[in-house]
Amino acid sequence: MRNFSQILPTTRREFLSFSGKGIGLLAFSRFAPSFLVQSTLASTPAPEKDRPILVIVQLAGGNDGLNTVVPFEDPHYYRLRPTLAVDRAKALTFGDNAAFQTGCEPLHALVKEGRLAVIQNVGYPNPNRSHFRSTDIWQTASDSERVIGTGWIGRYLDNACSGMPTTDRSPLAVHLANEVPTAFLSEHEHPTFGLNGDGRVNGGHPTALLEELARVPNPTGASENASYLRQTMMDALVTEKKVQSVLNAYQTSSPYPNNGFAHSLRSVASLIAARMPTRVYFVSLPGFDTHANQAGHHQKLLATLSESLAAFQHDLDQHGLSDQVLTMTFSEFGRRPMENESHGTDHGTAAPLFAMGSKVKAGLHGTAPDLNLAANQDLTFTTDFRQVYGTVLDRWLGCPSKEILGKEFSPIDFIA
Amino acid sequence: MDSSPPPSVVASPWAPLPAADWNEVTARHLLTRAGWSARQEDLNRAIDEGVEKTFERFFPSSITAFVRPQRVETIRTGEIELEERLIHAPQDTKKIERREFQQHFHGAYQDLVSKWLTFAAQPTVSAQEKWVLCLSDVYVVAYGKVRNPWSLYQHHATIREHAYGPAPVLSKAISRTPAMIEFLDLKDNKKDAPNENFARELFELFVLGEGNYTEADIKNAARAFTGYRSRGGDFFFARNQHDFGTKTVFGHTGNFDGDAVIDLAYRTPAARTFLANEMLRFYLTDEKIDPKILTSLGEAWAAEQFNLRGLLRLVFTSRFFYTPAYRGNFIKSPIQFYLGLLQDLQLDVNPVARQVVSELRQMGQMPFNPPNVRGWVGGRNWISSSTLGARRQLVQSLFSPLQPDRLNADDLVEVRAAEAEGHHHFSVEPADLAAFAQTPLPAGRGGSAHASARELIRTFLPSSPDSEYEKSIARSLHPTKDGAIDPARISGVLLSLLQSPDYQLC
Repeated sequence: MRNFSQILPTTRREFLSFSGKGIGLLAFSRFAPSFLVQSTLASTPAPEKDRPILVIVQLAGGNDGLNTVVPFEDPHYYRLRPTLAVDRAKALTFGDNAAFQTGCEPLHALVKEGRLAVIQNVGYPNPNRSHFRSTDIWQTASDSERVIGTGWIGRYLDNACSGMPTTDRSPLAVHLANEVPTAFLSEHEHPTFGLNGDGRVNGGHPTALLEELARVPNPTGASENASYLRQTMMDALVTEKKVQSVLNAYQTSSPYPNNGFAHSLRSVASLIAARMPTRVYFVSLPGFDTHANQAGHHQKLLATLSESLAAFQHDLDQHGLSDQVLTMTFSEFGRRPMENESHGTDHGTAAPLFAMGSKVKAGLHGTAPDLNLAANQDLTFTTDFRQVYGTVLDRWLGCPSKEILGKEFSPIDFIA
Repeated sequence: MDSSPPPSVVASPWAPLPAADWNEVTARHLLTRAGWSARQEDLNRAIDEGVEKTFERFFPSSITAFVRPQRVETIRTGEIELEERLIHAPQDTKKIERREFQQHFHGAYQDLVSKWLTFAAQPTVSAQEKWVLCLSDVYVVAYGKVRNPWSLYQHHATIREHAYGPAPVLSKAISRTPAMIEFLDLKDNKKDAPNENFARELFELFVLGEGNYTEADIKNAARAFTGYRSRGGDFFFARNQHDFGTKTVFGHTGNFDGDAVIDLAYRTPAARTFLANEMLRFYLTDEKIDPKILTSLGEAWAAEQFNLRGLLRLVFTSRFFYTPAYRGNFIKSPIQFYLGLLQDLQLDVNPVARQVVSELRQMGQMPFNPPNVRGWVGGRNWISSSTLGARRQLVQSLFSPLQPDRLNADDLVEVRAAEAEGHHHFSVEPADLAAFAQTPLPAGRGGSAHASARELIRTFLPSSPDSEYEKSIARSLHPTKDGAIDPARISGVLLSLLQSPDYQLC
């Protein structure tokens, strides 16, 4: 081991290669933010069946908040969006100054049925406009200036699962994308599992020899990458069989739209219905980086989101599972209030996010953004995203949020 | 594991590797890192030639061109014809015809992937094409947004053309490719309404890295790139859209155009180490490089006027590159995994392009289509339960013959075309197997199974992992008392070995 101070990571990528799966954060706890170390030591009850489940939906690319929740009464909106403003006559209103655009009828119905909460103007101080940095900030729940190597869900697992027996390798978190989301990165190792972006299992039947080779213990001096590969392979072989049989056997009468995102949600529903001990699911819908000719494209994306989320919620209802599941969206940033010359919008700051489920307090939360802005000026957030996370941790997952987020954030009252 | 380089390396990390340190182990390291695999015959040749001569052979002073695939070519001509046809067509017809034409794009994209893989799989150009892949992972454009395979080809041809020359020249060329103009919205970058997308990524992801510029630098640089357009597949400078006003970038003030901004960027210290660091991440390690070592590489590279072939030589012939701690522990990218498998098994690229594209997508690396402008992050990010499953499935497919009855007419055309080019070895055949385990296998006793197991491990794994591995493999080769090895067993063993965790490393 080299001298710590020389090799202390300064970016997440460096942190990851450093922290990895072998040497953990605890190994250099002297240098780590103290709350992170504490969180790995605290213990809340381990996940088990019938505990609340969180489904995170990433809107990747930076979702345009102003055309998602449309402030149709605000003259500034029409001033800032001469070509992109949603036609007021067609807007699906659900508040004095809030509406969805055409295509979002299912979301609109969910608000009316009391199952969709909209938290307005969510962001963080000193916003970063890089997709990657801002995605990391959201997923690690860090301050803008600080780089943290673990994700907020990873720290939740560290915290909630420290008492868990290690023999059961059922996944505690499942992602439906080829890459493991940063939110899952943890200090301790937890079994996680990935389905592909269409919600399906990759693989094929493993041979007996492969199972044997994956089980051969790591020789001394094996690299962290080698250990990581072996562990991932071993978990995958076990979980694959289980998951595949669950997906094959699933029956539902809820009609899902035909797209990869909806297929992923259907797979999530089937795993929840099968009583997997998984606590967190991560699903991603890409394509929100709408720099040019945004209108039709964005409308289609929102319609996909809307139809798929509603199908998922109805499926949960039918299986009597809706009391157990909270679904929330996030995006790395909103977009610039003023449209650009290409009929699109550039990277911005705050945006609304959704929380869906039978236990949410439906309707609007927080305050709408102030649009009295000069040309190219950005929104100023009024709700910190960690207030939302804190509420989910404290009131939904039953995990003390201060341990995960490093300090108390005042809760938003969107969970009943 | 202690990963610190020995003191002699720390003192002058970028000095040439002493001839005495050139052996089978270091040669294997170069072959698998600079290329896709280390087959025995290539290894023997490299050991004989020495590191310097091997470098010259891998990266000769001239570039080998990758000929534009036929279907990509027809996109261009087809597009022109379409535009002519549509001039007087009614609005509805235009929409439908355009949409139909988009379908051709996808076929041409798949063809581009398939033809490029076939090209890159040739051992003579493997190192060159891996370098092009590395650069295209920095200067990113993606099929998902660009859509047009003709421009994708053109962009990569531009990278290849400048791959051994000065980096600033490459950066300037890249700012002019139609694919980049589309991908980072230069086409919408206007005098009165600058679009910052390209300028931001130029600094953050192409030349300098985050934190080495200000928001004001980006705003001013964006103005310098106004008016960059493409027309008919070529760069076109729209003077009336260009902002000829005064800009201040990195503390310099003047009427800069894009090229001037790129030159200014290369005069800042961050440019010396940025690409070098990206290169080390791509070829050597996902661990952080000691900043002092990186700085000394950056200085040596700057002294070579940012010549890219100079950078390759500095790295691949250096003592630092061969540090033992960096051997056998790097996770192969899906493209390397695929092309390495083909070279290891002496197979040709599956001619059914849609299958190959889908296999690579499942493994997490669609060629010409990185997930976003940062490119592929690599390292452990390649590996999840789902991507490992996809890797296993790929190996499986190489052990099953193509099934003509499951191919459609288009697929069969592709198969016939590949066969006409002399490619017909698409899956492992019984005759191949005996050779891999160094047979004819004697019908001997236990010892021969162990010898075969050792041979398989030596040929396919980065370093012999462990005697437990050998025992498991030998048992699987030779499970019965009479001692004979059934070739079908070798097939099963080899398949498992190639799916195993250790084969994912190089």
